[in-house]
Amino acid sequence: MDVKDRILIVEDDRSIRNFFRTILEANRYDVTLAENGQEGYSLITSLCPDLVILDLGLPDLDGMEILRRVREWSSLPVVVISARSHERDKVEALDLGADDYITKPFGTPEMLARIRAAIRHSRLPLQTGGGRSGTFAAKGLLIDYDKHRAYIGGQDIGLTQNEFKLVGLLGKYAGKVLTYDFLIREIWGPNMENNNRILRVNMANIRRKMEKNPAQPEYIFTEIGVGYRMVEPDEERSEQ
Amino acid sequence: MDTGRPARAKNAAAGKRKLREFAADGGLTAGILAVTTALCRGLQEFSGADNHAPLLFMLAVLLIARHTKGYGYGIFSSMLAVVLVNYVFTPPYYELNFTITGYPLTFAVMLAASVSVSALTTQIKRQEQVRLEVEKEKQRANLLRAMSHDIRTPLTAIQASASGILDNYDALGRQEKLDLIRDIREESQWLVRMVENLLSITRINGEHARIQTAWEAVEEVVGGAVAKFRKQFSQIEVETRLPQELVLVQMDGILIEQVLVNLLVNAAIHGKTTSRILIGVTVLEDRVVFSVEDNGQGIDKALLPVIFEGAAPAEREQSDGRRNMGIGLSVCMSIVRAHRGGMRADNREGEQGARVQFWLPQQGEEKAWM
Repeated sequence: MDVKDRILIVEDDRSIRNFFRTILEANRYDVTLAENGQEGYSLITSLCPDLVILDLGLPDLDGMEILRRVREWSSLPVVVISARSHERDKVEALDLGADDYITKPFGTPEMLARIRAAIRHSRLPLQTGGGRSGTFAAKGLLIDYDKHRAYIGGQDIGLTQNEFKLVGLLGKYAGKVLTYDFLIREIWGPNMENNNRILRVNMANIRRKMEKNPAQPEYIFTEIGVGYRMVEPDEERSEQ
Repeated sequence: MDTGRPARAKNAAAGKRKLREFAADGGLTAGILAVTTALCRGLQEFSGADNHAPLLFMLAVLLIARHTKGYGYGIFSSMLAVVLVNYVFTPPYYELNFTITGYPLTFAVMLAASVSVSALTTQIKRQEQVRLEVEKEKQRANLLRAMSHDIRTPLTAIQASASGILDNYDALGRQEKLDLIRDIREESQWLVRMVENLLSITRINGEHARIQTAWEAVEEVVGGAVAKFRKQFSQIEVETRLPQELVLVQMDGILIEQVLVNLLVNAAIHGKTTSRILIGVTVLEDRVVFSVEDNGQGIDKALLPVIFEGAAPAEREQSDGRRNMGIGLSVCMSIVRAHRGGMRADNREGEQGARVQFWLPQQGEEKAWM
């Protein structure tokens, strides 16, 4: 008998709360519900859940505010719910430390994948000892962090140093969207901020080395207006 | 651009625009005055006469008043013109002499001409604005009408199916229940797409009717649209034909993705027999052309001329009323227009199916204002 992961849902809309509870309980999660921000925040502090699903549009407390407060003392995974067309909210939440977002309207498999990925990341540093050594494998893609190389079907695809840094970073956070600004800061430092072109060009080069068809990628997906996301690793998907 | 704080970005953009306007108008003023002065100097040199100077400067002032914004430039140049005429072209040369007879009259005439031309120009601009406003309002009303009509049908279906299941839960078989639930999902997906489109419109027609553009990779935008489309229409094959090299275009990526999703969904739904869609991108000298072709039934010839207008439901009640192309396509049109691009729909020559093309300007770095 395994221990279930506990998920706290902070959402003011009753139907959506119901939907989450039904689907998540059916997928063997332990679910707690909060109707508003105050209740949600106090449950986060008292319950220490394994994951929080947080609606950004709460009536009493701004979701961003809750996220900011939680991040002052904890790195527990937070997934925010946001409307599809509010790219700016998503970017802001991610930059504030949200682990991921799910967009209304929800697709169930996608939502479960995001939740799994977020919980996995919260445990990752323990498994790998915090370093970036080891490998990442997904659908024939292999990232070897020790050798600084990436392979597709066993073939070295010859990434440049920056390209490898990008792929490595996306692989480290596989399943999670990394924002444009985050990637640019990590690879080129803070002075390059807002230079979208250099990132676009590098990603295009990577795509040409990795994907069979750059317009229908299999490994690295673009979330227009937000950032990039690496496909989930193999073990994770076969588990389900 | 895509992550900047909105207020700050807006202020900066407004400030930038003001500065640009100032530079353009100021430059024009200085240019016209300089040309006039040079011309008068030339005439003075060659013919020795300078009685045409006041007339030429008069013309300069009129031109400036006509082509600049507001009154300031006209008034400023009329004053300057008077001083110049006095200083350079009226004996004693290179000396200011305000005691010449008729001098105040020249000044008054120039000032009056400049002010009245400025007033006329401003008035014309204002009228144009009012006309545009009315046009916009009319479009909005049309859209609202089409929309309310379109939303009612799927909502009724959802409501009916849900009550049907709840009220007859035991009487219905498993398959029947599944069918009803699938209907609910399909109808609500349609509603979601509709609302997405409406939100896109508010993005374009918002208070600062301007889109936020950034350099986007065409392959990413196409890829994003195809991925979104696949989630709902997995049975239709989508082929992409893009240039081998990277194509970057200034655009609002989210809106253009929306255009592509709309075109794909239209091809799937209105093509009726569509099993395959081809997205192509071609780079021309000054524009990037996107095309979406399907192998479905094609577009009714009678519809072709009005296809982007989002015709009101009453005008096409015979056709499958709800699944009209009106809103999706008129949204596409507004988005593309906001990018200073164009759009065209026709049927494929010699083959079955429809083809919709739109294009975005390629060197649109400074042009992407609405």
